[in-house]
Amino acid sequence: MSTSRRQFIVGAGASVASLGALRCSGGCSAAKRPGGSFTNAAQSAALVPAYEPIELVKPDFPAEGPLPAGFLKYPQQEFVQVIHEKPGRGGPEITSMTAHWGPTPPGLGRNAFVAAVNDALGVTVNPSCQDGMTFGNKLSAILGARDVPDLLSVPSWEVDNIPRFSQAVKALFADLSPHLQGDAVKNYPMLATLPTSAWRNCVWGERLAAVPFPTNGPFPWALFYRKDLLDQLDVELPKNIEEFHRLGKELTRPEKGVWAFSDVSDMVEMYFRCPHAQGGWRKKPGGGLEFKYETEEYREAVAFSARLFKDGLVHPDLVASKGGDSKQLFMSGRVLMLQDGMGAWQPMQSEQQKVTQGFNMQPLPVFAADGGTPLTWGGGTTPIFYTFVKDGLSKERTEELLRVLNWCAAPFGSKENLLAENGVEGKHFTRGADNAPMRTELGREEIATQFALLGGRAPVSVGGGDTPNYLPDLLAYSRDAVKYLGENPFEGIKIELPPTYSKTITTTQDKIRDLVRGRRPLSDLDEIVEEWRRMGGDAGRDFLEKALAANGR
Amino acid sequence: MSTPIANSAETPHSRAKAAALPATGSFKARLRRDWPLLAMTAPAVLLLLVFHYVPTLGNVMAFQDYNPFMGKNAFEAFAKSEWIGIGNFLMLFEDPAFWDAFRNTLTITMFQLVFFFPLPILLAILLNGVASAKLRSFIQSVVYLPHFFSWVLVITFFVQMLGGAGLLAQELRGHGLEPWEIMSNPDAFIVLVTAEAVWKDVGWGSIVFLAALAAIDPTLYEAAAVDGATRWRRLWHITLPGIRPVILLLLILRLGDALSVGFEQYLLQREAVGRQAAEVLDTYVYYQAILPQQWGLGAAAGLFKAVVGLVLILSANRLAHAMGEQGVYSKS
Repeated sequence: MSTSRRQFIVGAGASVASLGALRCSGGCSAAKRPGGSFTNAAQSAALVPAYEPIELVKPDFPAEGPLPAGFLKYPQQEFVQVIHEKPGRGGPEITSMTAHWGPTPPGLGRNAFVAAVNDALGVTVNPSCQDGMTFGNKLSAILGARDVPDLLSVPSWEVDNIPRFSQAVKALFADLSPHLQGDAVKNYPMLATLPTSAWRNCVWGERLAAVPFPTNGPFPWALFYRKDLLDQLDVELPKNIEEFHRLGKELTRPEKGVWAFSDVSDMVEMYFRCPHAQGGWRKKPGGGLEFKYETEEYREAVAFSARLFKDGLVHPDLVASKGGDSKQLFMSGRVLMLQDGMGAWQPMQSEQQKVTQGFNMQPLPVFAADGGTPLTWGGGTTPIFYTFVKDGLSKERTEELLRVLNWCAAPFGSKENLLAENGVEGKHFTRGADNAPMRTELGREEIATQFALLGGRAPVSVGGGDTPNYLPDLLAYSRDAVKYLGENPFEGIKIELPPTYSKTITTTQDKIRDLVRGRRPLSDLDEIVEEWRRMGGDAGRDFLEKALAANGR
Repeated sequence: MSTPIANSAETPHSRAKAAALPATGSFKARLRRDWPLLAMTAPAVLLLLVFHYVPTLGNVMAFQDYNPFMGKNAFEAFAKSEWIGIGNFLMLFEDPAFWDAFRNTLTITMFQLVFFFPLPILLAILLNGVASAKLRSFIQSVVYLPHFFSWVLVITFFVQMLGGAGLLAQELRGHGLEPWEIMSNPDAFIVLVTAEAVWKDVGWGSIVFLAALAAIDPTLYEAAAVDGATRWRRLWHITLPGIRPVILLLLILRLGDALSVGFEQYLLQREAVGRQAAEVLDTYVYYQAILPQQWGLGAAAGLFKAVVGLVLILSANRLAHAMGEQGVYSKS
């Protein structure tokens, strides 16, 4: 499999070179190298750890397909301690880096939460929380400098943007297969509770290279609206894209400083049923793959997004500067509809209802642009984050780091999980009437993603506490949206995109942004897509078609 | 700050005297005599070595398809990365986006040379004319302050004042007027960035000129005033010639930096007005080389910038000599 792919790509490089003796465009130099790789779904099954779930507390409803198990109310019983031996064995300080969306918490030495967790770990972790919005930039720099922390958590969507990521993994991160493969994982029983489908994505270059943070919901995006404010205006929720536009017009009141939308381009693409698998691919009826850029749906979506900008329905601060904070604008009611990840919902509701009486954010029920059957993006098993362990450490040290990850992966219902996510009772959180932890001021200040994002956890949804309606609302939305999930032909195949293709994604998005913002005429789309095909889009297509063929799909 | 200025204003005569100090004795004797001086410069030399000369060696990656993940460490990565000759430069010069960035950078430099460069001089002359020392130091504090704000802050401030939801726009809407697009207008971007730069740095830029003005002998003014010269004549015949060497010096340095117009300011506003208007060489390197990890390409762009800068400095310096000024340095 890998030989033929190499030959294919070398062949492509030669044909580019023969077009002009001295011409060497972006495609050429990278095309000489074998770019990208994919696993065989069956092959990687042999590498993944055994799966042994632990149920510490009984959920109110079990997992339904891609929807994780959930607790409508916070469990009443005392949580149990699941790890009895401290992970630390006297090793030196452990450095870690995670993405965090929010204010940077105080660092080691000034943070009682970190101190408490370190105490439980028996080893000092010195965590670094980096702004999630610009994490990719930071990541690119530390990888290039080969200066990585002992434990590095990487958002999965950043991986596709980094050419040669698999080479970086090989050069910088430890091979975890001998430690975790198959039954070896039993030394780390909490890591064994992570689902197999998530582990399958952690295979790079035929070795297990990371610990997954499994996805806890199938949807990458949602469009949230301020239900409390929309109810006052007595407006109807849109059932098609024209109603959506009309609603946007109705909601936008510049003289009051209120605009309808943040940048909602991704959701607009979804409403127009653009394909999404592996960044936007789908199978053509006649065989072969087509990318979203090449579809009529995408063309319409771009035109519609451009209309939103042209009609001034997007908040000007978000148009004017990279620094604009869409979440803040939404919370303060200056933007009424916000495109964000599902994960933003519960924390934002919890935080803002303390400030704004009656604050109620809800995801807009999905619809299709033409009012027909909608398409929902998602349903993949790609983890949200990967945690890598630095290479070149001694066996003992690697094991110590894995024990730390094991501690962090203790499932919901354990004392360890409660500490990692909520800190110390009485200090960082107090119990509400229904036993749910409520963060104190100190808790909100000190607790970020320092430990919660290391090593993953078995996915669950937990309602109750100060967001009693969250879980029923989430379920209602999800049960509706999950019906329209598109199929993913790449499911279970771990794909490392070729570098040339990775690069075209960013440059092409940049050009398309010019169309959406009205700086270039929409008719330029054909030209842009043609450039994309030439610069690596077609190479990406060939590569992905090969990946499917090799897996017999 | 004022010492190098005073030096550059020295007469050739005094410089010649300094150079003529006899280099007597053997190396050892000179070492014994000069070691405190050497010790004092050592930290600066070390700093220069570690942070300038050693990283400069990294420029070899401009001729490589540099792959940081080859080998066991950064040195092996250099040794094992493939040599591709001028491949990176060809790639750079064939990329229309590079030439867009190049053109934008030069246009902005030229524009700012005309509309920004003279402003600190004017401000310095104005400040110099303020008689009350108290008032002058107050004004100085006020105009220096913005220099210490980060670009993020400056741009947020501009967005809050002039943006589509900013103070001005809301005020206009309050009066039933349609606000004017300032922060996201690609055509007026060059004016906007210059205005921002002026707001931030005009005070800071005037410091050097103020120092130069202070070095002008006040008796010249008195003599001219006695001879009946008006304010304008004094400005024209005493003040401007007095600070001419400094103006030229800064102009030459600015020209050497012609291909750098700043980075954060453009990075932050690039999305608002688009690549076509806001891409300068530094953001080009960031988006096309650093983010997609094309290190060789980035190094090639940096080297290109350096060579152009060197050529500009040398020619501007030569021009300064031709005009009878010292310029940045002179052979002798």
